[in-house]
Amino acid sequence: MTADLSVDISGMRLRGPVLAASGTFGYGTEVPLLERRALGAMVSKGIFLRAREGTAPPRIVETPGGMLNAIGLQGPGVEALIRDFAPSWAEWDFPVLVNINGESSSEYGELAARLDGVPGVAGFEINISCPNVEQGGLYFGNDPRAAAAVTEAVRRRTKLPVWVKLTPMVSDIGVIARAVEGAGADALCAINTFVGMSIDLNAYKPRLSFRTGGLSGPAIRPLAVHLAHQAARAVRIPVIGIGGITRAEDALEFLVAGCAAVQVGTATFVNPKAIADVHDGIAAFLEAKGFSALTDLPRYLPRD
Amino acid sequence: MFVLGLEAPEIASSVRAGQFVNLGWAGGPLLRRPFSVYRADGDHIEVVLKAVGAGTAQLLGMELGDRVSCLGPLGRGFELAGRSAVLVSGGLGVAPMPLVVRDARTSGMEVTWVHGARTAAELCAEAEGDTLIWATDDGSQGFHGTAVAAAPDGDVVVACGPNRMLAAVAERWPHAQVAVETYMGCGTGVCLGCAVPLRRGGYDRACKEGPVYHAADIDWSALPSHLAYAVGA
Repeated sequence: MTADLSVDISGMRLRGPVLAASGTFGYGTEVPLLERRALGAMVSKGIFLRAREGTAPPRIVETPGGMLNAIGLQGPGVEALIRDFAPSWAEWDFPVLVNINGESSSEYGELAARLDGVPGVAGFEINISCPNVEQGGLYFGNDPRAAAAVTEAVRRRTKLPVWVKLTPMVSDIGVIARAVEGAGADALCAINTFVGMSIDLNAYKPRLSFRTGGLSGPAIRPLAVHLAHQAARAVRIPVIGIGGITRAEDALEFLVAGCAAVQVGTATFVNPKAIADVHDGIAAFLEAKGFSALTDLPRYLPRD
Repeated sequence: MFVLGLEAPEIASSVRAGQFVNLGWAGGPLLRRPFSVYRADGDHIEVVLKAVGAGTAQLLGMELGDRVSCLGPLGRGFELAGRSAVLVSGGLGVAPMPLVVRDARTSGMEVTWVHGARTAAELCAEAEGDTLIWATDDGSQGFHGTAVAAAPDGDVVVACGPNRMLAAVAERWPHAQVAVETYMGCGTGVCLGCAVPLRRGGYDRACKEGPVYHAADIDWSALPSHLAYAVGA
């Protein structure tokens, strides 16, 4: 007996609950076909309207159980994405969502409008961890009104599923979660990286040229499980758990804590087959526990 | 300097000079660590390392039969064609050179290898080629000065060593092929962590478009000259 791992999220039926996190799978074309067999969906590397060079090196540094990155959303811009990558996505047997970024609500909206209807684009994941240039550089994701405004700007321009990726750098993730749910989000992704810093004691300055970076990897997992759980308690839409998943047991923690699916990121850097390993491990767990489907997995989700 | 041998038949039979492997091991650091392939023979490859941190200490403490996850061969290697090749290496920059000698000889090239270190004690004893030149910063063996200053010209100049040394190579031989060292995340082109700043602007990936570059293509002023991994080696 093989357990049924399929899940329904925002009107999409996914063959499994393990998704590739933005920025850790490129545009999907770098990773061999074999390693994509278990993918429930892929979220593309983050894209802006225009091409971006990214930040100066050093861009990454390893810390205990994790890594800091400041890539700076290097990317070719939306037109190159449509030309060079979307045509391949249209051929694949799993949906690809585009992680969209902007400096103002209207830029997010424009991106969604440009990508809506492009074959291969199945939906959007809004990265609200960007500075809002029109509001003095405050992060959209830290302010429920700005987070809702961005979500609404995208919602108005597309009928495709809209997911919002939440930042952990807030005092109450439930407030932001409810704000973007109210603005029309179909699902939430929790969480993005934590902002961190590491100091080079020979140079007396930060190791990353950007000074700070996003912390990912196993080091953040218990924090992420808690925040994803808090988000899931706060809303009725599905929450996709992210943060330090390297093994099936890690993913199952998020699922039991109330998440509908998970994204795997940093683990793919270490093990190119991480997503398939996590997927297979979840199936083995369900079978060992006598469940025939992921939907039978007990959840711990008292509602707020 | 230590040499570590690994049984990796698929990599041994296909690796080209300048390509690398990304190693991970149980109980090791989170991210894999990149190593140039030093030698390849039959079913085995070798890498060289210094005992600089906890990670390399773990590798050096392994027993025969222990398992290491080995991803490769990765990156783009050297292009070797012409009558003569001059190899310039400093410190651990010896790493890709034995395969360069192998591939250059296969192409019928005459090989001169110039290797530099701070002192005679830090020189690698395993150099090979038609002509060998040693250089030491303190003059304790061979040429008193840098490997770059000691080297003759050749049709193809190949260099590997600290990024500061490679910047000097770029000054003297803009057409030289250099293998650069960067921080690396995935090694497979997806994380964009190993950014190499280019003279024409922007960045590309040491793990995919590199690690071998034409020296003149790199913006040396923007490439970090000192790597300090925060965890392990």
